Amino acid sequence: MSVKTFNRGLFLPHYKESTEDKAIANIALPGEVVIPLQQHIGAPCKAVVSVGDKVKIGQKIGDSEAFVSAAVFASVDGTVTAIEPRSNFTGADVESVVIEVAEKQEEPSWSDRDISNMSGDDIRAAIKEAGIVGMGGAAFPTNVKLSPPKPVDVVIINASECEPFLTCDHRVMVEMAEELVLGAKLIAKAVDAQQLIFGVETNKPDGIEAIKAQIEGEEGIEVAVTDVKYPQGAEKQLIYAATGREVPPGKLPLEVGVVVQNVGTAVAVYEACRFGKPLYERVLTVSGDAAANPGNVKVPIGTTIEHIIEQCGGFKDGKEPGKVVLGGPMTGFAQTRLDVPVVKGTSGILLFSEEMLVMSEHMPCVRCSRCVDHCPMYLYPNSISMNAEKGLYDQAAEWGAMDCFECGICVYVCPSNRPIVQLVRDTKKAQAAK
Amino acid sequence: MSNDLSLSFNTSPHLRSKNTVQQAMYDVIIALLPISAVAVYIFGINAVFTIAVSLVAATLTDLVFRKILGRWNTPFDGSALVTGLLIALTFTVEASWWTLVIANVIGIGIAKELMGGIGYNLFNPALFGRVSGILFAGLFFNQVNTTFAPLSYQAGPVDVVTQATPLALLKMGAEMPPMAQMFVANQGGGLAEVSPLALLIGGVYLFVRGHIKWHIPVSIIGTVLVIGLIFAGPELAVYHILAGGLMIGALFMATDWVSSPVTPKGMIIFGVAIGILIMVFRLALSPTEGTAFAILIMNAFVPMIDRLTKRPVFGEAPAKAQAQAVSAETAGKPA
Ligand code: SF4
Ligand code: SF4
Repeated sequence: MSVKTFNRGLFLPHYKESTEDKAIANIALPGEVVIPLQQHIGAPCKAVVSVGDKVKIGQKIGDSEAFVSAAVFASVDGTVTAIEPRSNFTGADVESVVIEVAEKQEEPSWSDRDISNMSGDDIRAAIKEAGIVGMGGAAFPTNVKLSPPKPVDVVIINASECEPFLTCDHRVMVEMAEELVLGAKLIAKAVDAQQLIFGVETNKPDGIEAIKAQIEGEEGIEVAVTDVKYPQGAEKQLIYAATGREVPPGKLPLEVGVVVQNVGTAVAVYEACRFGKPLYERVLTVSGDAAANPGNVKVPIGTTIEHIIEQCGGFKDGKEPGKVVLGGPMTGFAQTRLDVPVVKGTSGILLFSEEMLVMSEHMPCVRCSRCVDHCPMYLYPNSISMNAEKGLYDQAAEWGAMDCFECGICVYVCPSNRPIVQLVRDTKKAQAAK
Repeated sequence: MSNDLSLSFNTSPHLRSKNTVQQAMYDVIIALLPISAVAVYIFGINAVFTIAVSLVAATLTDLVFRKILGRWNTPFDGSALVTGLLIALTFTVEASWWTLVIANVIGIGIAKELMGGIGYNLFNPALFGRVSGILFAGLFFNQVNTTFAPLSYQAGPVDVVTQATPLALLKMGAEMPPMAQMFVANQGGGLAEVSPLALLIGGVYLFVRGHIKWHIPVSIIGTVLVIGLIFAGPELAVYHILAGGLMIGALFMATDWVSSPVTPKGMIIFGVAIGILIMVFRLALSPTEGTAFAILIMNAFVPMIDRLTKRPVFGEAPAKAQAQAVSAETAGKPA
């Protein structure tokens, strides 16, 4: 088996041992859920319910006329108690629908449609109707991504899960391989692609086997086994590893005829097309060295991280963690409070002890060249940071700041602990303001 | 659980490697232990004295300049100790204590701290200090030349401790010590000249620890070897590599992070240019200080090398190639 990969990048310790073999579990419902009306890239939704309304699981509660947007749905049976701004995972206040969870939950009933002769338009319509977005973190509306203005010949399902600690995609692969493959085929059909590739890192042998068992003997479908290197799950790096094509700077995968979708998204597409089931729940990983009982859980969108942490046994030894991160440890968001809700793009809740967070003060760049060696975009993080620090944003852009996708490798390896990603963001902001 | 935890809020990434500047500096010191040990074995207490004076001078200079420049709170990174040790190793045991002090004050105080501190220096502090120390000694303190071997090598063996340096012998065309002895342990010249083998062991250690790449040392040594073969013949070519400051220069000075290029391509250009300059100095000009001057001169070109060797961003090269192919394809066609 030949293992594929991309250039540069870095082998990170992956810390997946504590959860990779734990089956996806359900947890007790919370007392209320907080469902932000914007969980995606694009136009925010407007609430289509009012305070006092009784809502059913899967009922649409927010929608938008805009093309680039994704509807949101009630994730429980209950009563709308408020529609107000609530803090989300980025710390911003976002208009949200608060639902008090009813004591008695009814089993939702879904239709059962024949997916074998759905057309591309049918598939896109079902996806739009289900409010599906990219579940790997970017949360871009999926029906938009599957309406390409250029021909696409390859669909890649991103099953790399290259961020340390996260194992939710891995578990989905193992436990729901059939749904995953069916969803992936629907995606390929929607864009009329001839080739379907699953990109999986070698550290998920059971996931690779599960998918292979589903696609055995089929033409035009394959598993691209990739090296356990970060950031293998970044779109451009994955496309390069799987097809050898390089997406030009500033361009989308479409430029080289490729569409990339995440594992969770593919399963959601299947459920939307077959059952008409909207995206109101997701699988995520609770982990980190300060988590009492790490695992993978399926939770309703809108559940607060506080409730999930409690259900997973709370903090290890009852000790307050040094940091709580939503998403992966390399690109995720640190939280200042625990009442923020899980959204469609939340892949993990990570609890870190103080000891895990060695954060020495940052020093000048000593030009050790480690960041230059490992940057997967072949940029010059050293020069970017030196210039941006002095406010020389034009020069920072010349050394590649605008092509940085903030994977965090440069900061990880830097012996001077330089805040390069932050300086890249400053540069992008300054350049955008021009 | 409350919602007002004292959680640290900062931006991604939230993980860090264990790399620190301190660790790297301590590794350089470890890498210099073999050569220091051989030097002490050969020169005895005099070598201990030279190293000790230089380390004390380095530490005091660091402290005083930080105090003056208000950089009191910057973390202690161990880089001054590295510079102090490197400076000591470039001198002979006859170097007077004040020459060592001058070299450290200029190297650490002026070439580094006054330039903005670690990371901002254009020149390698140890070499800058070493060369300045000698210039000062030569310019203003002529009367003490006899206690200063590198400037008095032409007088032949001036005292019982050191013999004429192999490099001087090489220039004079005198008979060289046996090659094996040159490689393992010999008595010529400065502390770091006594054992290329010990330096090599230190260099390999730094390489294995991931602090240096092979590109600079290999391109310097390779270039010197090739030019030596062409102009001096096979046997002398090898002596050119083993003699003088070449080994410590190629392995420890030219590989200094701050004052060398950041990409392999840049490193090779840098290394080859240094190798050429060394041989120009050695074959055509003065036999001493060739390595030091060659590296210092190329230090000045590092920003230029970095700019000229700038690599294309991911996806840029194939995109360009494709655009060219398309324009070539359409060029012949009637519009
Ligand atoms: S510069 Fe950007 S793309 Fe390159 S390593 Fe740093 S964060 Fe990643
Ligand atoms: S890793 Fe840090 S110290 Fe090293 S070159 Fe990059 S920015 Fe500079």
